[in-house]
Amino acid sequence: MADSSHVPIADSSGGEAIASPPVESERVWRAGKLEPMPIRKLPEAPPSIHLLGPTVFLVALGVGMGESYMWPRLVLVFGPEIRWLFLIGVTLQAVVMLEMARYAMATGESIFAGAARVFKPLMWFFFGVAILVYIWPGHLSAGAAAFEEITGIPWVVTACVALILVGILFSLARVIYNLLENLLAILIGILVVGTAVIASMVGSWGDLTSTLSGMFAFGYFPAEAMSAQWFPIVVGSIAFAGPSGMQQMWYTLHLRDSGAGMGAHIPNVQGLRNAGAEEKMPSRGFMFDTEDPAEMAKWKGWRRWVTFDALLLFWGITMLVTVSFTVLAQSAARENPDVKGLIEGGDRDAALLAMSDAFASAGGPILGGLFFGFIALIGMNATLGLFDSFSRGQADMTYFFMPGAKKFKMAHLYAGFLWGLITFGILILLFGPADGPSGVLDILAFLSTFAMGAYCIVLLLVNNRMLPKPIRPKIWTNLIIGFGAVFYLGMLFFSLVKFGVVVG
Amino acid sequence: MQDNRLYRLFELAVPGILVGLIAGVIAGSLALLVGQPPSWALVTAMTLGVPLAVAGGGFGLLAAFGKVRMGGFAPAALYWLVAFPVARLLHEVLTKLVLTGEPGLPPDPLGFLAFQGIISAGFAIGFLWLHERVAPRWWHKVAPHNEQAGIVFARYAVHAQRMQKAKQARSKPRRAAKVSSFVK
Repeated sequence: MADSSHVPIADSSGGEAIASPPVESERVWRAGKLEPMPIRKLPEAPPSIHLLGPTVFLVALGVGMGESYMWPRLVLVFGPEIRWLFLIGVTLQAVVMLEMARYAMATGESIFAGAARVFKPLMWFFFGVAILVYIWPGHLSAGAAAFEEITGIPWVVTACVALILVGILFSLARVIYNLLENLLAILIGILVVGTAVIASMVGSWGDLTSTLSGMFAFGYFPAEAMSAQWFPIVVGSIAFAGPSGMQQMWYTLHLRDSGAGMGAHIPNVQGLRNAGAEEKMPSRGFMFDTEDPAEMAKWKGWRRWVTFDALLLFWGITMLVTVSFTVLAQSAARENPDVKGLIEGGDRDAALLAMSDAFASAGGPILGGLFFGFIALIGMNATLGLFDSFSRGQADMTYFFMPGAKKFKMAHLYAGFLWGLITFGILILLFGPADGPSGVLDILAFLSTFAMGAYCIVLLLVNNRMLPKPIRPKIWTNLIIGFGAVFYLGMLFFSLVKFGVVVG
Repeated sequence: MQDNRLYRLFELAVPGILVGLIAGVIAGSLALLVGQPPSWALVTAMTLGVPLAVAGGGFGLLAAFGKVRMGGFAPAALYWLVAFPVARLLHEVLTKLVLTGEPGLPPDPLGFLAFQGIISAGFAIGFLWLHERVAPRWWHKVAPHNEQAGIVFARYAVHAQRMQKAKQARSKPRRAAKVSSFVK
């Protein structure tokens, strides 16, 4: 029986950490009103050289239209100096990522469970937002449309086939996490290598230096950006720099399933075919002994590991892809002045087509084709990541907090949400508006950005109240996350009050 | 004997060669997809793919013999800072040679090399990402007849063992948490 004399125990409101006297029972860490977490050993951290972590999911989800279209567009309209806002947005997201990882690695619980420990309705809020925002299959359209440009296959057909293939893939996979990590890792590796090669062939020294130096033009904000037309778009682009909406929250599920930190004590989610082999999910996470120096040394190892992931892979790749696409857009606008007008005009499909044409005229059809190939690849990565993450997140919340849901295995709930999303997606693609009913589009955009402000507040509450003192965030981290909350919510409501428009 | 040694070296370099080739193959296959003549696609694939593959293989050998830190980003970035601009310069010169019959440097060669040098950091991330995914499996596969592959794989295996331990820890039956009484 473990000695509990040195185990930090918090009160039910997540207050001060204090020591309890020796008792003849298992040592636990109490956090909030939910079931206490038993104390277990923290596994050894992998060496920081281990390159591939669950960040692969964040990169897959995060490197999307914001990087390949929205920011190049702003650069063409306002000049490269506007990119300092991108630097702020992505750096803020890197800190959010580190803080999401703090709770997930210390407990093996998702941030949703952490929110429920603070106040259960908070978690149900995110459950509802996820359904409202992510059931619309609009995100498939850009990748499928790019595929249509290359192959001539109508995009609705590609999108429907892709939906069914994604469903079959995730249902047949033995261990979903391993399959998806391998698949996304290869796709993203090819994306990164290919993007670098294309940028090296199309861009110029001048484009690159102006793009890079623009990132440090702090304070630059042209008067036109402060208009009803552009302000919401600028705010939206900052919010959508890197992972947007609830993607950072889903990252905690991937950390847990990859066995990071105390996630090593939680079984993997299985594919539907192997649901029978699934171990019983523990009803709560675990905590390690934060008063044991050896355990704290291991914790520091895990923080180094995730920091490496956050800085090099997440921040670095997001920057690389955006800088490359901005260089490409500048090059395309130089080749064909019409591109600038189309990109500024906001017709995404026409702008992408014009950019592809400009590359084709500069370097032969190969470059035009490559451009669409990469847009299609980005779309595929985002779709794979999104479907898995949505189903994983909803299944997680349902399993742990919906009365009676534990009768099912996690794999069944995962499959239920996945196939529900796929069925709804196909019906909407065939018969309805892919982005969602036009009347609620504004509400969806509002909720997506609101969720980001809300998760910053949840992070502050969870990490400062639900974790033992020695592993709580430092003051500067809290200040940055607090700034994030004020920034996302402040800009959102400012745009709403001043211009009557939610983010673009 | 010498042939065997060269073959074993080649085996160690295969993952790097493969990843280096990917860049050229992507370009070549998409050229075909958009209706270019196969010969044109082949020129692009070869003039870019081969120099990158040779450089990739070189990096693979350095990694296999422990000359660069396994999986470390800084050595890869430094290596490609030199190798990537050289490969791109060869690509430009050779493409011109094949298509026009005369080799020629790009305009402003120094600016060209500086630009390629900066882009190389992005290429290095992608290269390392793919290499780390492919190489350990390949080295494991050839380890029975390639001693050096076995040695380098063993280094990765140390890490894999840690992961395995963590997995085993997951499958152990857990005691139900007996909650201690809370003392304020």
